Amino acid sequence: MSSELNVPIRSEADLVTARLRGREMASTLHFSSSELTLIATAISEVTRNILSYAGSGELDLRLVRQGQKLGVSIIARDRGPGIPDLFSAMQDGYSTSGGLGLGLPGSKRLMDEFDVASEVGKGTTVTMTKWKM
Amino acid sequence: MADHETLLPESPIPGEEVRRRKEFLEFTDDDVAVLEGVNEVAIRYADSMIDDFYRHLMSFDETRAFFADPALLKHVKEMQKNYFMRLTQGNYDQVYVAERIKIGQIHERIGLPLKSYFGMYCYYLRAVLGRLQEEYKETPEQAFSVFNSLMKLTFFDMELAIDTYVESRERTIKGQEEAIRELSTPVLLLRPGLLLLPIIGLIDTLRARQLTEQLLRSVRSNRARVVVIDVTGVPSVDTKVANHLVQTVEAARLMGAVSIISGIAPDIAQTMVRLGIDLRRIRTVGDLQSGIEEAERQLGYTVVKNDVAESEDGK
Amino acid sequence: MNRARAPILKLGETLIVSVQEALMDADLVGLRDELVAEVKMYRATCVIIDVTVLDVLDSFAARTLRHIAQMTQLLGARTVIVGIQPDVAFAMVQLGLTLQGTETALDLEDALSLLNLKLGRNRRVQ
Repeated sequence: MSSELNVPIRSEADLVTARLRGREMASTLHFSSSELTLIATAISEVTRNILSYAGSGELDLRLVRQGQKLGVSIIARDRGPGIPDLFSAMQDGYSTSGGLGLGLPGSKRLMDEFDVASEVGKGTTVTMTKWKM
Repeated sequence: MADHETLLPESPIPGEEVRRRKEFLEFTDDDVAVLEGVNEVAIRYADSMIDDFYRHLMSFDETRAFFADPALLKHVKEMQKNYFMRLTQGNYDQVYVAERIKIGQIHERIGLPLKSYFGMYCYYLRAVLGRLQEEYKETPEQAFSVFNSLMKLTFFDMELAIDTYVESRERTIKGQEEAIRELSTPVLLLRPGLLLLPIIGLIDTLRARQLTEQLLRSVRSNRARVVVIDVTGVPSVDTKVANHLVQTVEAARLMGAVSIISGIAPDIAQTMVRLGIDLRRIRTVGDLQSGIEEAERQLGYTVVKNDVAESEDGK
Repeated sequence: MNRARAPILKLGETLIVSVQEALMDADLVGLRDELVAEVKMYRATCVIIDVTVLDVLDSFAARTLRHIAQMTQLLGARTVIVGIQPDVAFAMVQLGLTLQGTETALDLEDALSLLNLKLGRNRRVQ
Protein backbone atom coordinates (compact mmCIF):
# COMPACT_ATOMS: atom_id res chain seq x y z
CA MET A 1 0.00 0.00 0.00
CA SER A 2 1.61 3.23 -1.14
CA SER A 3 1.49 6.32 1.00
CA GLU A 4 0.20 8.57 -1.77
CA LEU A 5 -2.60 8.13 -4.26
CA ASN A 6 -4.24 10.34 -6.82
CA VAL A 7 -7.87 9.75 -7.76
CA PRO A 8 -9.19 11.69 -10.75
CA ILE A 9 -12.80 12.75 -10.28
CA ARG A 10 -14.76 12.78 -13.49
CA SER A 11 -17.88 10.82 -12.73
CA GLU A 12 -19.94 9.41 -9.92
CA ALA A 13 -18.17 6.09 -10.24
CA ASP A 14 -15.04 7.95 -9.19
CA LEU A 15 -16.85 9.12 -6.07
CA VAL A 16 -17.36 5.53 -5.01
CA THR A 17 -13.72 4.76 -5.89
CA ALA A 18 -12.50 7.73 -3.88
CA ARG A 19 -14.41 6.56 -0.80
CA LEU A 20 -13.06 3.07 -1.16
CA ARG A 21 -9.43 4.10 -1.66
CA GLY A 22 -9.65 6.59 1.18
CA ARG A 23 -10.99 3.90 3.47
CA GLU A 24 -8.31 1.44 2.39
CA MET A 25 -5.48 3.87 2.88
CA ALA A 26 -6.74 5.06 6.26
CA SER A 27 -7.22 1.49 7.46
CA THR A 28 -3.46 0.87 7.14
CA LEU A 29 -3.08 3.29 10.04
CA HIS A 30 -5.53 1.24 12.08
CA PHE A 31 -8.20 3.88 12.43
CA SER A 32 -11.32 2.57 14.14
CA SER A 33 -14.25 1.47 11.99
CA SER A 34 -16.13 4.57 13.09
CA GLU A 35 -13.27 6.88 12.09
CA LEU A 36 -13.01 5.16 8.70
CA THR A 37 -16.65 5.93 8.08
CA LEU A 38 -16.13 9.56 9.06
CA ILE A 39 -13.26 9.80 6.60
CA ALA A 40 -15.19 8.08 3.81
CA THR A 41 -18.16 10.37 4.44
CA ALA A 42 -16.01 13.50 4.35
CA ILE A 43 -14.50 12.29 1.08
CA SER A 44 -17.97 11.71 -0.27
CA GLU A 45 -19.05 15.23 0.63
CA VAL A 46 -16.11 17.08 -0.94
CA THR A 47 -16.07 14.84 -3.99
CA ARG A 48 -19.74 15.46 -4.56
CA ASN A 49 -19.03 19.19 -4.44
CA ILE A 50 -16.44 18.76 -7.14
CA LEU A 51 -18.89 16.90 -9.36
CA SER A 52 -21.76 19.24 -8.68
CA TYR A 53 -20.01 22.56 -9.00
CA ALA A 54 -16.92 21.97 -11.10
CA GLY A 55 -17.81 18.90 -13.08
CA SER A 56 -14.40 17.35 -12.57
CA GLY A 57 -11.35 17.54 -10.40
CA GLU A 58 -9.03 15.27 -8.46
CA LEU A 59 -8.33 13.90 -5.03
CA ASP A 60 -4.90 13.45 -3.50
CA LEU A 61 -4.88 10.89 -0.72
CA ARG A 62 -1.82 10.87 1.49
CA LEU A 63 -0.52 9.26 4.64
CA VAL A 64 1.17 11.95 6.70
CA ARG A 65 3.07 12.41 9.91
CA GLN A 66 3.55 15.28 12.34
CA GLY A 67 6.01 14.44 15.06
CA GLN A 68 4.76 11.18 16.49
CA LYS A 69 1.25 11.54 15.07
CA LEU A 70 0.21 9.60 12.00
CA GLY A 71 -2.74 10.57 9.86
CA VAL A 72 -4.41 10.66 6.49
CA SER A 73 -4.73 13.79 4.39
CA ILE A 74 -7.15 14.41 1.58
CA ILE A 75 -6.69 17.23 -0.88
CA ALA A 76 -9.69 17.84 -3.14
CA ARG A 77 -8.90 20.08 -6.09
CA ASP A 78 -11.01 21.47 -8.87
CA ARG A 79 -10.87 24.24 -11.46
CA GLY A 80 -14.50 25.12 -11.00
CA PRO A 81 -16.21 28.46 -10.43
CA GLY A 82 -14.79 28.90 -6.94
CA ILE A 83 -16.66 29.96 -3.82
CA PRO A 84 -17.56 33.67 -3.79
CA ASP A 85 -18.41 33.99 -0.10
CA LEU A 86 -16.12 31.56 1.65
CA PHE A 87 -16.88 32.98 5.08
CA SER A 88 -20.60 32.30 4.78
CA ALA A 89 -19.99 28.93 3.23
CA MET A 90 -18.06 27.94 6.34
CA GLN A 91 -20.78 29.07 8.73
CA ASP A 92 -22.69 26.41 10.49
CA GLY A 93 -25.98 26.60 8.67
CA TYR A 94 -26.58 23.40 10.53
CA SER A 95 -29.89 22.34 9.17
CA THR A 96 -31.92 19.33 10.12
CA SER A 97 -33.32 19.25 6.62
CA GLY A 98 -30.27 17.36 5.47
CA GLY A 99 -27.24 19.57 5.00
CA LEU A 100 -27.82 22.20 2.38
CA GLY A 101 -25.29 23.99 0.26
CA LEU A 102 -21.71 22.87 0.17
CA GLY A 103 -21.77 20.99 3.42
CA LEU A 104 -18.37 22.40 4.31
CA PRO A 105 -19.00 22.99 8.03
CA GLY A 106 -20.28 19.43 8.26
CA SER A 107 -17.21 17.94 6.62
CA LYS A 108 -15.08 20.06 8.93
CA ARG A 109 -16.76 18.42 11.91
CA LEU A 110 -15.89 15.00 10.56
CA MET A 111 -12.17 15.70 10.29
CA ASP A 112 -9.50 17.09 12.60
CA GLU A 113 -8.01 19.69 10.28
CA PHE A 114 -9.86 21.44 7.50
CA ASP A 115 -8.83 24.19 5.15
CA VAL A 116 -10.45 25.70 2.07
CA ALA A 117 -8.72 27.85 -0.50
CA SER A 118 -10.86 29.21 -3.28
CA GLU A 119 -10.70 31.83 -5.98
CA VAL A 120 -13.68 32.83 -8.08
CA GLY A 121 -13.09 31.77 -11.65
CA LYS A 122 -10.00 29.74 -10.72
CA GLY A 123 -11.16 26.88 -8.57
CA THR A 124 -11.23 25.41 -5.10
CA THR A 125 -8.89 23.30 -3.00
CA VAL A 126 -10.08 21.62 0.16
CA THR A 127 -7.42 20.10 2.41
CA MET A 128 -8.49 17.93 5.31
CA THR A 129 -6.63 15.67 7.70
CA LYS A 130 -7.55 13.12 10.32
CA TRP A 131 -5.02 12.02 12.90
CA LYS A 132 -4.78 8.62 14.48
CA MET A 133 -4.93 9.30 18.19
CA MET B 1 0.17 21.90 6.38
CA ALA B 2 3.84 22.40 5.51
CA ASP B 3 4.88 20.47 8.62
CA HIS B 4 3.22 17.34 7.46
CA GLU B 5 5.80 15.02 6.07
CA THR B 6 4.66 12.26 3.77
CA LEU B 7 5.20 9.02 5.56
CA LEU B 8 8.14 6.78 4.62
CA PRO B 9 8.23 3.27 6.02
CA GLU B 10 11.75 3.47 7.51
CA SER B 11 11.46 6.82 9.23
CA PRO B 12 10.34 6.43 12.82
CA ILE B 13 11.85 9.87 13.35
CA PRO B 14 11.42 12.17 10.36
CA GLY B 15 14.49 13.28 8.42
CA GLU B 16 13.85 16.90 9.30
CA GLU B 17 13.95 16.15 13.04
CA VAL B 18 17.19 14.16 12.64
CA ARG B 19 18.78 17.09 10.83
CA ARG B 20 17.68 19.46 13.59
CA ARG B 21 19.17 17.25 16.28
CA LYS B 22 22.51 16.90 14.49
CA GLU B 23 22.58 20.65 14.00
CA PHE B 24 21.97 21.29 17.68
CA LEU B 25 24.73 18.83 18.59
CA GLU B 26 26.93 20.50 15.96
CA PHE B 27 27.53 17.07 14.45
CA THR B 28 28.85 17.80 10.98
CA ASP B 29 30.42 16.00 8.03
CA ASP B 30 33.82 16.75 9.60
CA ASP B 31 32.81 14.67 12.60
CA VAL B 32 31.73 11.89 10.27
CA ALA B 33 35.14 11.97 8.61
CA VAL B 34 36.95 11.93 11.96
CA LEU B 35 34.98 8.91 13.13
CA GLU B 36 35.48 7.03 9.89
CA GLY B 37 39.16 7.78 10.28
CA VAL B 38 39.45 5.78 13.50
CA ASN B 39 37.57 2.75 12.28
CA GLU B 40 40.75 0.69 12.11
CA VAL B 41 41.65 1.60 15.67
CA ALA B 42 38.14 0.68 16.78
CA ILE B 43 38.39 -2.75 15.15
CA ARG B 44 41.60 -3.39 17.06
CA TYR B 45 40.11 -2.45 20.41
CA ALA B 46 36.63 -3.90 19.90
CA ASP B 47 37.00 -7.22 21.71
CA SER B 48 38.86 -5.96 24.78
CA MET B 49 36.44 -3.03 25.03
CA ILE B 50 33.42 -5.29 25.01
CA ASP B 51 34.95 -7.68 27.54
CA ASP B 52 35.74 -4.82 29.93
CA PHE B 53 32.29 -3.39 29.41
CA TYR B 54 30.51 -6.57 30.35
CA ARG B 55 32.82 -7.26 33.24
CA HIS B 56 31.64 -3.92 34.60
CA LEU B 57 27.97 -4.75 34.00
CA MET B 58 28.27 -8.18 35.58
CA SER B 59 29.83 -6.77 38.74
CA PHE B 60 26.61 -5.01 39.66
CA ASP B 61 23.49 -6.92 40.76
CA GLU B 62 21.07 -4.67 38.92
CA THR B 63 22.62 -5.07 35.51
CA ARG B 64 23.88 -8.63 36.02
CA ALA B 65 20.29 -9.76 36.40
CA PHE B 66 19.60 -8.94 32.78
CA PHE B 67 22.37 -11.12 31.45
CA ALA B 68 22.05 -14.17 33.68
CA ASP B 69 21.52 -16.51 30.75
CA PRO B 70 24.93 -17.35 29.17
CA ALA B 71 23.44 -17.78 25.69
CA LEU B 72 21.79 -14.35 25.99
CA LEU B 73 25.04 -12.84 27.26
CA LYS B 74 26.95 -14.21 24.29
CA HIS B 75 24.34 -12.87 21.90
CA VAL B 76 24.22 -9.48 23.54
CA LYS B 77 28.02 -9.17 23.53
CA GLU B 78 27.99 -9.89 19.81
CA MET B 79 25.33 -7.22 19.26
CA GLN B 80 27.21 -4.77 21.45
CA LYS B 81 30.40 -5.34 19.45
CA ASN B 82 28.48 -4.55 16.27
CA TYR B 83 27.04 -1.46 17.92
CA PHE B 84 30.52 -0.34 18.91
CA MET B 85 31.91 -0.94 15.43
CA ARG B 86 28.97 0.86 13.82
CA LEU B 87 29.95 4.09 15.59
CA THR B 88 32.99 4.49 13.36
CA GLN B 89 31.58 3.25 10.08
CA GLY B 90 30.11 6.55 8.95
CA ASN B 91 26.84 6.97 7.10
CA TYR B 92 24.69 8.04 10.07
CA ASP B 93 21.49 8.23 8.03
CA GLN B 94 17.83 7.25 8.47
CA VAL B 95 18.78 3.59 8.37
CA TYR B 96 21.24 4.21 11.22
CA VAL B 97 18.47 5.97 13.13
CA ALA B 98 16.09 3.07 12.58
CA GLU B 99 18.70 0.56 13.80
CA ARG B 100 19.45 2.56 16.94
CA ILE B 101 15.78 2.86 17.71
CA LYS B 102 15.35 -0.86 17.36
CA ILE B 103 18.13 -1.43 19.88
CA GLY B 104 16.52 1.07 22.24
CA GLN B 105 13.21 -0.74 21.91
CA ILE B 106 14.82 -4.06 22.81
CA HIS B 107 16.39 -2.58 25.93
CA GLU B 108 13.13 -0.96 26.88
CA ARG B 109 11.21 -4.17 26.33
CA ILE B 110 13.48 -6.23 28.58
CA GLY B 111 12.98 -3.58 31.24
CA LEU B 112 16.47 -2.16 31.42
CA PRO B 113 16.14 1.04 33.49
CA LEU B 114 17.16 4.30 31.85
CA LYS B 115 19.67 4.98 34.62
CA SER B 116 21.47 1.73 33.77
CA TYR B 117 21.30 2.60 30.11
CA PHE B 118 23.00 5.97 30.75
CA GLY B 119 25.43 4.46 33.21
CA MET B 120 26.48 2.08 30.46
CA TYR B 121 27.00 4.90 27.98
CA CYS B 122 29.13 6.72 30.50
CA TYR B 123 31.35 3.73 31.23
CA TYR B 124 31.63 3.16 27.53
CA LEU B 125 32.76 6.71 26.71
CA ARG B 126 35.35 6.62 29.48
CA ALA B 127 36.68 3.28 28.31
CA VAL B 128 37.04 4.67 24.80
CA LEU B 129 38.76 7.77 26.14
CA GLY B 130 41.31 5.57 27.88
CA ARG B 131 42.01 3.65 24.67
CA LEU B 132 42.31 6.88 22.66
CA GLN B 133 44.78 8.36 25.14
CA GLU B 134 46.91 5.23 24.70
CA GLU B 135 46.66 5.18 20.93
CA TYR B 136 47.40 8.89 20.44
CA LYS B 137 50.00 9.30 23.22
CA GLU B 138 52.21 11.36 20.92
CA THR B 139 49.38 13.48 19.46
CA PRO B 140 46.83 14.14 22.22
CA GLU B 141 44.93 16.70 20.09
CA GLN B 142 43.91 13.84 17.87
CA ALA B 143 42.53 11.94 20.85
CA PHE B 144 40.52 15.03 21.82
CA SER B 145 39.22 15.45 18.30
CA VAL B 146 38.08 11.85 18.04
CA PHE B 147 36.54 11.91 21.50
CA ASN B 148 34.76 15.17 20.67
CA SER B 149 33.13 13.67 17.59
CA LEU B 150 32.35 10.41 19.32
CA MET B 151 30.69 12.22 22.20
CA LYS B 152 28.38 14.05 19.81
CA LEU B 153 27.41 10.80 18.13
CA THR B 154 26.92 9.02 21.44
CA PHE B 155 24.63 11.78 22.69
CA PHE B 156 22.71 11.54 19.43
CA ASP B 157 22.28 7.82 20.16
CA MET B 158 21.18 8.54 23.72
CA GLU B 159 18.50 10.92 22.47
CA LEU B 160 17.15 8.14 20.28
CA ALA B 161 17.22 5.78 23.26
CA ILE B 162 15.19 8.22 25.35
CA ASP B 163 12.70 8.49 22.48
CA THR B 164 12.00 4.78 22.60
CA TYR B 165 11.49 4.78 26.36
CA VAL B 166 9.20 7.80 26.26
CA GLU B 167 7.23 6.42 23.35
CA SER B 168 6.72 3.15 25.18
CA ARG B 169 5.57 4.93 28.34
CA GLU B 170 3.09 6.96 26.34
CA ARG B 171 1.69 3.84 24.72
CA THR B 172 1.22 2.25 28.12
CA ILE B 173 -0.52 5.32 29.48
CA LYS B 174 -2.80 5.47 26.47
CA GLY B 175 -3.69 1.83 26.89
CA GLN B 176 -4.57 2.40 30.53
CA GLU B 177 -6.63 5.47 29.72
CA GLU B 178 -8.50 3.40 27.16
CA ALA B 179 -9.16 0.65 29.69
CA ILE B 180 -10.39 3.14 32.27
CA ARG B 181 -12.71 4.70 29.75
CA GLU B 182 -14.22 1.36 28.82
CA LEU B 183 -14.65 0.35 32.44
CA SER B 184 -16.38 3.56 33.35
CA THR B 185 -19.11 3.42 30.75
CA PRO B 186 -20.91 0.13 30.67
CA VAL B 187 -24.06 -0.06 28.62
CA LEU B 188 -26.53 -2.22 30.52
CA LEU B 189 -29.38 -4.28 29.15
CA LEU B 190 -32.20 -3.85 31.66
CA ARG B 191 -34.88 -5.70 29.78
CA PRO B 192 -35.17 -7.05 26.27
CA GLY B 193 -35.05 -3.94 24.14
CA LEU B 194 -34.17 -1.58 27.00
CA LEU B 195 -30.67 -0.22 27.39
CA LEU B 196 -29.38 1.89 30.22
CA LEU B 197 -26.31 4.09 29.81
CA PRO B 198 -25.36 5.62 33.17
CA ILE B 199 -22.81 8.39 32.68
CA ILE B 200 -20.66 9.31 35.64
CA GLY B 201 -18.18 12.12 35.84
CA LEU B 202 -17.17 14.78 33.38
CA ILE B 203 -17.42 14.11 29.69
CA ASP B 204 -14.97 15.45 27.16
CA THR B 205 -15.32 15.19 23.41
CA LEU B 206 -13.33 11.98 23.13
CA ARG B 207 -15.26 10.25 25.89
CA ALA B 208 -18.56 11.45 24.48
CA ARG B 209 -17.67 10.00 21.11
CA GLN B 210 -16.77 6.66 22.65
CA LEU B 211 -19.95 6.60 24.68
CA THR B 212 -21.99 7.21 21.57
CA GLU B 213 -20.17 4.54 19.62
CA GLN B 214 -20.60 2.01 22.39
CA LEU B 215 -24.25 2.84 22.75
CA LEU B 216 -24.99 2.59 19.05
CA ARG B 217 -23.28 -0.78 18.76
CA SER B 218 -25.23 -1.92 21.79
CA VAL B 219 -28.46 -0.79 20.20
CA ARG B 220 -27.67 -3.00 17.23
CA SER B 221 -26.50 -6.07 19.11
CA ASN B 222 -29.29 -5.93 21.69
CA ARG B 223 -31.97 -4.78 19.27
CA ALA B 224 -32.79 -2.01 21.69
CA ARG B 225 -35.84 0.12 21.04
CA VAL B 226 -35.52 2.35 24.08
CA VAL B 227 -32.40 3.81 25.61
CA VAL B 228 -32.23 5.54 28.96
CA ILE B 229 -29.23 7.85 29.24
CA ASP B 230 -28.78 8.76 32.86
CA VAL B 231 -26.77 11.87 33.60
CA THR B 232 -27.38 12.01 37.35
CA GLY B 233 -23.67 11.53 37.88
CA VAL B 234 -22.61 14.28 35.51
CA PRO B 235 -21.73 17.37 37.53
CA SER B 236 -21.91 19.91 34.76
CA VAL B 237 -22.84 20.20 31.14
CA ASP B 238 -21.47 22.74 28.70
CA THR B 239 -22.47 23.46 25.11
CA LYS B 240 -20.25 20.77 23.69
CA VAL B 241 -21.52 18.08 26.03
CA ALA B 242 -25.13 19.11 25.54
CA ASN B 243 -24.61 18.87 21.79
CA HIS B 244 -23.03 15.46 22.18
CA LEU B 245 -26.06 14.27 24.11
CA VAL B 246 -28.39 15.55 21.44
CA GLN B 247 -26.31 13.93 18.72
CA THR B 248 -26.34 10.65 20.58
CA VAL B 249 -30.11 10.78 20.85
CA GLU B 250 -30.44 11.58 17.16
CA ALA B 251 -28.04 8.84 16.11
CA ALA B 252 -29.90 6.28 18.21
CA ARG B 253 -33.12 7.38 16.55
CA LEU B 254 -31.64 6.73 13.12
CA MET B 255 -31.29 3.16 14.34
CA GLY B 256 -34.88 3.02 15.44
CA ALA B 257 -34.31 3.57 19.15
CA VAL B 258 -36.01 6.18 21.28
CA SER B 259 -33.90 7.87 23.95
CA ILE B 260 -34.87 9.20 27.31
CA ILE B 261 -32.41 11.36 29.19
CA SER B 262 -32.85 11.07 32.90
CA GLY B 263 -31.28 12.75 35.87
CA ILE B 264 -30.97 16.22 34.47
CA ALA B 265 -30.36 18.48 37.44
CA PRO B 266 -32.24 21.79 37.48
CA ASP B 267 -29.16 23.85 36.73
CA ILE B 268 -28.18 21.60 33.83
CA ALA B 269 -31.70 22.00 32.50
CA GLN B 270 -31.27 25.75 32.76
CA THR B 271 -27.95 25.61 30.92
CA MET B 272 -29.49 23.60 28.13
CA VAL B 273 -32.40 25.97 27.76
CA ARG B 274 -30.03 28.93 27.73
CA LEU B 275 -27.90 27.23 25.12
CA GLY B 276 -30.95 27.08 22.94
CA ILE B 277 -31.10 23.30 22.81
CA ASP B 278 -34.46 22.44 21.40
CA LEU B 279 -35.73 20.24 24.18
CA ARG B 280 -38.49 19.02 21.93
CA ARG B 281 -35.83 17.02 20.13
CA ILE B 282 -35.11 14.97 23.20
CA ARG B 283 -37.24 13.36 25.84
CA THR B 284 -36.10 14.18 29.36
CA VAL B 285 -37.21 13.18 32.83
CA GLY B 286 -36.04 14.24 36.27
CA ASP B 287 -34.63 11.06 37.71
CA LEU B 288 -33.46 7.59 36.77
CA GLN B 289 -36.48 5.83 38.19
CA SER B 290 -38.87 7.88 36.12
CA GLY B 291 -36.67 7.28 33.13
CA ILE B 292 -36.82 3.52 33.50
CA GLU B 293 -40.55 3.54 34.17
CA GLU B 294 -41.13 5.63 31.09
CA ALA B 295 -38.96 3.29 29.04
CA GLU B 296 -40.80 0.24 30.27
CA ARG B 297 -44.12 1.88 29.47
CA GLN B 298 -42.93 2.54 25.94
CA LEU B 299 -41.96 -1.09 25.55
CA GLY B 300 -45.37 -2.18 26.78
CA TYR B 301 -44.44 -3.35 30.23
CA THR B 302 -46.60 -2.75 33.24
CA VAL B 303 -44.86 -3.24 36.57
CA VAL B 304 -47.20 -4.52 39.27
CA LYS B 305 -46.24 -4.79 42.90
CA ASN B 306 -46.96 -8.09 44.68
CA ASP B 307 -49.14 -6.62 47.49
CA VAL B 308 -51.74 -9.35 47.32
CA ALA B 309 -49.28 -12.24 47.81
CA GLU B 310 -47.56 -10.50 50.76
CA SER B 311 -50.71 -9.88 52.75
CA GLU B 312 -51.76 -13.49 52.33
CA ASP B 313 -48.44 -14.82 53.64
CA GLY B 314 -48.08 -12.37 56.46
CA LYS B 315 -51.48 -13.25 57.79
CA MET C 1 -31.79 3.02 -13.09
CA ASN C 2 -30.23 -0.34 -12.60
CA ARG C 3 -32.93 -2.27 -10.83
CA ALA C 4 -30.44 -4.82 -9.51
CA ARG C 5 -28.93 -2.16 -7.26
CA ALA C 6 -32.17 -1.63 -5.36
CA PRO C 7 -34.80 -4.23 -6.16
CA ILE C 8 -38.32 -3.49 -4.96
CA LEU C 9 -40.11 -6.44 -3.39
CA LYS C 10 -43.82 -6.59 -2.84
CA LEU C 11 -45.21 -8.17 0.34
CA GLY C 12 -48.97 -7.71 0.26
CA GLU C 13 -49.53 -3.99 0.52
CA THR C 14 -45.98 -3.36 1.60
CA LEU C 15 -43.12 -2.49 -0.69
CA ILE C 16 -39.63 -3.34 0.49
CA VAL C 17 -36.70 -1.63 -1.17
CA SER C 18 -33.47 -3.47 -0.58
CA VAL C 19 -30.44 -1.36 -1.46
CA GLN C 20 -27.77 -3.74 -2.69
CA GLU C 21 -24.75 -1.53 -3.05
CA ALA C 22 -23.58 2.06 -3.04
CA LEU C 23 -26.11 4.00 -5.05
CA MET C 24 -25.02 6.71 -7.34
CA ASP C 25 -26.98 9.90 -7.67
CA ALA C 26 -28.78 8.84 -10.82
CA ASP C 27 -29.75 5.54 -9.21
CA LEU C 28 -31.27 7.29 -6.22
CA VAL C 29 -33.33 9.58 -8.41
CA GLY C 30 -34.40 6.63 -10.52
CA LEU C 31 -35.33 4.72 -7.40
CA ARG C 32 -37.51 7.56 -6.25
CA ASP C 33 -39.41 7.64 -9.52
CA GLU C 34 -39.80 3.89 -9.66
CA LEU C 35 -40.96 3.63 -6.07
CA VAL C 36 -43.52 6.37 -6.55
CA ALA C 37 -44.85 4.57 -9.59
CA GLU C 38 -45.14 1.26 -7.74
CA VAL C 39 -46.78 2.81 -4.69
CA LYS C 40 -49.44 4.20 -6.99
CA MET C 41 -49.76 1.02 -9.02
CA TYR C 42 -50.12 -1.35 -6.08
CA ARG C 43 -51.78 1.15 -3.72
CA ALA C 44 -49.13 0.28 -1.21
CA THR C 45 -49.80 1.28 2.37
CA CYS C 46 -46.29 0.71 3.66
CA VAL C 47 -42.81 1.24 2.28
CA ILE C 48 -39.63 -0.03 3.90
CA ILE C 49 -36.27 1.16 2.61
CA ASP C 50 -33.41 -1.02 3.76
CA VAL C 51 -29.98 0.65 3.65
CA THR C 52 -28.08 -1.95 5.69
CA VAL C 53 -25.48 -2.36 2.97
CA LEU C 54 -24.54 1.30 2.69
CA ASP C 55 -21.28 2.14 4.44
CA VAL C 56 -21.67 5.86 3.85
CA LEU C 57 -24.76 8.05 3.80
CA ASP C 58 -23.71 11.54 2.83
CA SER C 59 -25.83 14.69 2.62
CA PHE C 60 -27.02 13.98 -0.89
CA ALA C 61 -28.06 10.44 -0.07
CA ALA C 62 -29.78 11.54 3.12
CA ARG C 63 -31.63 14.32 1.34
CA THR C 64 -32.81 11.98 -1.38
CA LEU C 65 -33.95 9.36 1.12
CA ARG C 66 -35.99 12.00 2.90
CA HIS C 67 -37.51 13.13 -0.37
CA ILE C 68 -38.41 9.58 -1.25
CA ALA C 69 -40.01 9.10 2.16
CA GLN C 70 -41.91 12.35 1.88
CA MET C 71 -43.24 11.48 -1.55
CA THR C 72 -44.37 7.99 -0.64
CA GLN C 73 -45.97 9.38 2.49
CA LEU C 74 -47.82 11.95 0.43
CA LEU C 75 -49.14 9.05 -1.60
CA GLY C 76 -50.54 7.57 1.58
CA ALA C 77 -47.88 4.97 2.33
CA ARG C 78 -46.29 4.86 5.76
CA THR C 79 -42.56 4.82 5.15
CA VAL C 80 -39.78 3.45 7.35
CA ILE C 81 -36.05 3.59 6.75
CA VAL C 82 -34.11 0.70 8.26
CA GLY C 83 -30.61 -0.63 8.52
CA ILE C 84 -28.59 2.47 9.23
CA GLN C 85 -25.39 1.11 10.80
CA PRO C 86 -23.86 2.55 14.01
CA ASP C 87 -20.89 4.17 12.24
CA VAL C 88 -23.10 5.59 9.53
CA ALA C 89 -25.59 6.98 12.07
CA PHE C 90 -22.75 8.61 13.94
CA ALA C 91 -21.31 10.23 10.81
CA MET C 92 -24.75 11.41 9.75
CA VAL C 93 -25.48 13.29 12.97
CA GLN C 94 -22.03 14.90 12.78
CA LEU C 95 -23.14 16.28 9.44
CA GLY C 96 -26.48 17.31 10.88
CA LEU C 97 -28.40 14.73 8.86
CA THR C 98 -31.07 13.51 11.24
CA LEU C 99 -33.80 12.43 8.79
CA GLN C 100 -36.17 14.36 11.00
CA GLY C 101 -39.76 13.58 10.15
CA THR C 102 -38.97 10.17 8.70
CA GLU C 103 -39.63 6.97 10.62
CA THR C 104 -36.75 4.64 11.28
CA ALA C 105 -36.30 1.14 12.65
CA LEU C 106 -33.32 -1.09 13.34
CA ASP C 107 -33.95 -3.59 10.56
CA LEU C 108 -36.55 -5.25 8.39
CA GLU C 109 -37.89 -7.40 11.21
CA ASP C 110 -38.41 -4.43 13.49
CA ALA C 111 -39.97 -2.40 10.69
CA LEU C 112 -42.46 -5.15 9.99
CA SER C 113 -43.46 -5.40 13.64
CA LEU C 114 -43.60 -1.61 13.83
CA LEU C 115 -46.01 -1.62 10.91
CA ASN C 116 -47.91 -4.40 12.66
CA LEU C 117 -47.21 -6.85 9.93
CA LYS C 118 -46.33 -10.27 11.25
CA LEU C 119 -45.13 -12.88 8.81
CA GLY C 120 -47.74 -15.24 10.17
CA ARG C 121 -45.55 -17.96 11.62
CA ASN C 122 -46.03 -17.68 15.34
CA ARG C 123 -49.75 -17.18 15.56
CA ARG C 124 -50.97 -18.26 18.91
CA VAL C 125 -53.90 -20.69 18.83
CA GLN C 126 -56.52 -19.17 21.13
